[in-house]
Amino acid sequence: MALPLLLLRPILLLSFLLFAPIINFKAALGSVTEEDFSEELLLRPLPDRKVLAHFHFRSRAPHTSSNGRHHHLFPKAISQLVQKFHVKEMELSFTQGRWNYDRWGGFDPISSNNAKPPGVELWAVFDVPLEHVDDSWKNLTHALSGLFCASVNFLESSTTYSAPEWGYRPAPGSLRYGTLPREAVCTENLTPWLKLLPCRDKAGLSALMDRPSIYKGFYHSQRLRLTSSEFESEEGGSGIVLQQTLTVVVQPDSERNVMSYSHETKLQPSWSLTSIFGRMVTGRCVLAKSSTVYLQLDRGLVGQLDYLQKENELSNADKSVYEGFSSNPGFELSVKPDRVLKELNGFEKKTPSVVYEFYIEKYSESRPFDLGLTWKLPVVWSCQKAPLHASRFLMGSGNERGAIAISLRSTEVSDELLHTDMSEGRCKLEVKVFQVVPWYIKVYFHTVRVYVNEQPQEVSDVVEKMRVSPSVDKVSPGVMEMVLKFPCGMKSAAITLEFDKGFLHIDEYPPDANQGFDIPAAIICFPNFHTSMQFFTDKSVDRSSILSKFQENNAVLAYTEVLLVPLTTPDFSMPYNVITITCTVCALYFGSLLNVLRKRVGEEERSAKSKATKETGRLRQLLSRVSAKLRGRPFELPQPPSNSSSFISSKLILFILVAGIAVFWQVYFG
Amino acid sequence: MAEITEPLLPAKEAPETSKPQEPALDFDPKTMRKTKPGVKRLILTVSVLFSFVLGVPFIYKSVEIYRAPLPFREIESLSAQIDSKPFQFPCRLQAIFIGFDWKSSIATLESSILTQMTKLTSQTPQCGTCSPNHTVSVILKSNSQCLQSRTTSCSPECGAIRSIELDGDDEAVDEVLESVLGGCSGSNSGSGGEVYSVVVVNRGEEVRAVVGKYRHAWIVGRVSEAEAVSWAAEIFVKVFVNGGKEEGLIHGEFMPVGADGTVVLSFNLLNADPRDWVYDWDFQSVDETLLAPIIEAMKPVANISVESQVLYHMPKSSLSYWDDKWDSYIFSTKDLPFFVNSNEWHLDTSIAAGGRSKMLHFVIYIPSAKECPLLLQLPDGEISKTNSFISPMWGGVIVWNPQTCRKDSESKRPSRHTISHQDLQKVFEVFMGQFRQLFGFKSDNLYVGASGTSSLLASERGFTVWELDVLSRMHTCFNLHSCATTLGSLSRLVQSLPRMIIMDEIGKQVKYSLEAAKLAQSNASHGIYNASAVSSRQARSLAEDAFFHPSIMSVSYYSFEHCFAVYSPFFLPVSIHVLLAAVREWRRHKQENKKYLAWKTKVVSS
Repeated sequence: MALPLLLLRPILLLSFLLFAPIINFKAALGSVTEEDFSEELLLRPLPDRKVLAHFHFRSRAPHTSSNGRHHHLFPKAISQLVQKFHVKEMELSFTQGRWNYDRWGGFDPISSNNAKPPGVELWAVFDVPLEHVDDSWKNLTHALSGLFCASVNFLESSTTYSAPEWGYRPAPGSLRYGTLPREAVCTENLTPWLKLLPCRDKAGLSALMDRPSIYKGFYHSQRLRLTSSEFESEEGGSGIVLQQTLTVVVQPDSERNVMSYSHETKLQPSWSLTSIFGRMVTGRCVLAKSSTVYLQLDRGLVGQLDYLQKENELSNADKSVYEGFSSNPGFELSVKPDRVLKELNGFEKKTPSVVYEFYIEKYSESRPFDLGLTWKLPVVWSCQKAPLHASRFLMGSGNERGAIAISLRSTEVSDELLHTDMSEGRCKLEVKVFQVVPWYIKVYFHTVRVYVNEQPQEVSDVVEKMRVSPSVDKVSPGVMEMVLKFPCGMKSAAITLEFDKGFLHIDEYPPDANQGFDIPAAIICFPNFHTSMQFFTDKSVDRSSILSKFQENNAVLAYTEVLLVPLTTPDFSMPYNVITITCTVCALYFGSLLNVLRKRVGEEERSAKSKATKETGRLRQLLSRVSAKLRGRPFELPQPPSNSSSFISSKLILFILVAGIAVFWQVYFG
Repeated sequence: MAEITEPLLPAKEAPETSKPQEPALDFDPKTMRKTKPGVKRLILTVSVLFSFVLGVPFIYKSVEIYRAPLPFREIESLSAQIDSKPFQFPCRLQAIFIGFDWKSSIATLESSILTQMTKLTSQTPQCGTCSPNHTVSVILKSNSQCLQSRTTSCSPECGAIRSIELDGDDEAVDEVLESVLGGCSGSNSGSGGEVYSVVVVNRGEEVRAVVGKYRHAWIVGRVSEAEAVSWAAEIFVKVFVNGGKEEGLIHGEFMPVGADGTVVLSFNLLNADPRDWVYDWDFQSVDETLLAPIIEAMKPVANISVESQVLYHMPKSSLSYWDDKWDSYIFSTKDLPFFVNSNEWHLDTSIAAGGRSKMLHFVIYIPSAKECPLLLQLPDGEISKTNSFISPMWGGVIVWNPQTCRKDSESKRPSRHTISHQDLQKVFEVFMGQFRQLFGFKSDNLYVGASGTSSLLASERGFTVWELDVLSRMHTCFNLHSCATTLGSLSRLVQSLPRMIIMDEIGKQVKYSLEAAKLAQSNASHGIYNASAVSSRQARSLAEDAFFHPSIMSVSYYSFEHCFAVYSPFFLPVSIHVLLAAVREWRRHKQENKKYLAWKTKVVSS
């Protein structure tokens, strides 16, 4: 018990945190003399009767200088991508649905790393001179678009990507970030992604990916993360590491439960791999170094189960969840786990999270692996939430102007966690906001207003640091990076920004212009809160990529909603209408002017006179007779010709008036 | 307004300016007028019309789209030139006869070789071969004398030939010949093309013919004069000029070289089922030792890059059956079209390769335990020795069976092996043969001609020097052909769409492409093979660049209908007004003038 006692001391823990990556790194260096591949699956029951399945595949290739440029396991396409575009780091995600931060958790590594905004998100850091970064980015988008059958190439245009300095991740100059919120994600993106795995979906854990079941889920995010040290010195380089993850949130079919426990509505649905995916694991991918399935129980769930246990079985209270699963009162597992790992909780006085580990090596086609979880008692728990709940919405109406508001609400978690800055005397909660706004949303950054607890605040009091790069019409989007410091006791905060809606050229409208335009999700980051989860593992941490990923000290991160802004959409036949009507009016004007110029007034008078005397214009006479009848005036001979010119000009004026009204009508109501 | 005002303007009415009416005797206001008609309105309308007419060129200029001038005539003449006259190179033959005691003079020898050669050359001149008017030089060395024909511009001295010892193994002989005769060959020989030499030595009994790695062949044995002459002629025409190809093999037009002159060789090791066994290879060493010299040798013809991958879970899509006779699984040539499983074999295009480079896939297929040993049965019932096949323009497949087809007893982990270096060497020899076949060469080292069988020495660089000559000649021809067709299609396209925007860049590319094509032609006529291959490649890639320029497919294609729809609502009504007004005024002026003249004559007569 000496080790946990020592670890409880924060300083030691901190030093451990600091050294852990180095140890990992050393271990990695030691083992990465040849390419390897590992596959893992993490399952986690979620509080709202759903199940999270997180596939994690990692391929590693050693440095080219030691291993040569020919690969045995590592996908050729990716290594060529790295070599050709000098990619240092890259992440591409395809997502459908929105991560529910309240119910599915906002304070764990998966929600911070794998919850992504809907559509496509791509960021990349290049190892090229700063002036070539844009070119590399453009080429990379095209290559990825071909590789993944997606319209990633739309990120080529400089209006769609931005170069954040410090708001997203610290890589000034060589980082590019772009999103396509409208991109639809489907199996045609998954197939090329699977092609990068050595076993594709033929064997191993990826064989579980039954397309209908994973696409009918509530959330689906497929991610590719690449880290390469190809261009660093040989010593420091650990080669290329490719991490492919697929995160799905699915609702298990709960028919069986309803049948048997119809009176128990609170009971969580029991599930098994077959009920979620319709398939079983019939063995590992033979090329994988390790193939493991994890079942993770939340801190909240474990606490709840502990409580249940204490309540139910007072006789043997010393048995807790992580010591044996058979004695567990809350649920039952169909397969005995090979190992049970308990989280080392240093800071919080909360119950630790528990992970059950299952090695797939043991299973084969004759003995398939089908993990099932059956709930025995109704359990209600909640996931750990991010310190502040972030949401973003639009204000204002009409097609002219509006405002974006980011609202931050404190969650109950934040109160407990807010002791991080206590040591400095004044408690502050630091929040980083990164937002990209397309150029047609002309944001006025001087209108930033900050409200804390619904009271307006001086901007300089709250905003610690701010970097704004205003949008340039049709050239670049507006980027806002902000560091805000709120007082700890704060209940809610809001940031508003006013904007004008711009006008697009008729060529720039998308085919479905009336749907509205998307503002990409803003990123809210809490740099003082880290999602590190330390599990007590006896030997190689390096063995499991998910667990080593959990240990990484990443800041808590959340994406806000994507906003849909309706812009004025023109009638797309309007240019022709306008051309036609203005040309007609101009032609009329021109013609009549010409006629007026060559009019012979005296001659007309004379001819009118002679006509009147001869009464030749029978038709005219008839007409004027009719009109006289209509007017109710006695018929008289056509008016003296002296009036005729004024008569004509009045007609002209009338005509121009009518045309003018038509133009007006066309412009304002057409 | 016209409709309203026109009826009020009867043309034949009284004069426009009211003058004091003088009572005249026979003055009829309908046919006469006393004053000269005014021209104010006429000038006005005509000037408006005139300014309109003047404005037409400006309007036309302003709606005109930019089209870079393309040299249509030159493109046409290039394609006509290439179509009419097959592109041929000058080649020179040097025949050296040693140890013959012939009466015939050198001139007759030369002419007899020439006639033999013309007999052998096909009647329809083929592109990329040597021009029919070969230059032949003969050196006749007997025991007593050494005769040399005068036509040789550059040939070894008789004294040097004396030292040729055609003993020892073929490789050594080849080196000796190269050291003696090779000084003349190569691009330093100036104009006239490469010199190929055939040495005939009259000695011993057994007759052997060998074609060396360089540009030399030798025939040793007891041969008569006529035999020697015809054999030398055949080796020259069939081997040195045509590359020893058989008819019906891959035609020169299917050169597997990309439009930008690059070839990507993608080597794939396919494990049908890794659960049975996993084979790996040491491709790095193969790349360095076996492939690098070939790539170096092929430089003038194509830029070759190599990539490799190992893939798993890649079953073939055709079925095989068990045959007791061979004690193995058999797939026949009928199954070959279905062997490559295009659904699951993601051999992929390469990101590293440029857009228009050619991929050649070479696949080693390792069958699973279910179908091990897997053998290819030829149509004659025999088993293929190499167990492999090619697909023209795509690449080649080798089925490689593991030593033992027995799966290791039910162990969980599959057995991992690395293909041994010897095996890999054998496999790459087959790949080399396939590669040669894809370029249209024979994969074995025997040439069976009418005069006898000659053995061809293989080069460790994959292609011998004379083969590379053949390749670069064919490649030049093929490139120029495709350059001419591409430019021809471009010019046809541009001419058929008069309102298509053509950027300056396209014009420049076409110009440079034509220049490069001209350079290639002139180089070829001077017999500088490599330089002409390089510039022909440039010509082709520039032509393709111009044809596939993104602006040709541009969205802003500005059709005439569009232009008409935009401008007609204004110009149509206005021009009708202006024209009508001018015509009316002109008519009226003529009429009034007539009236005035009538009055004048009346006044004068009265």
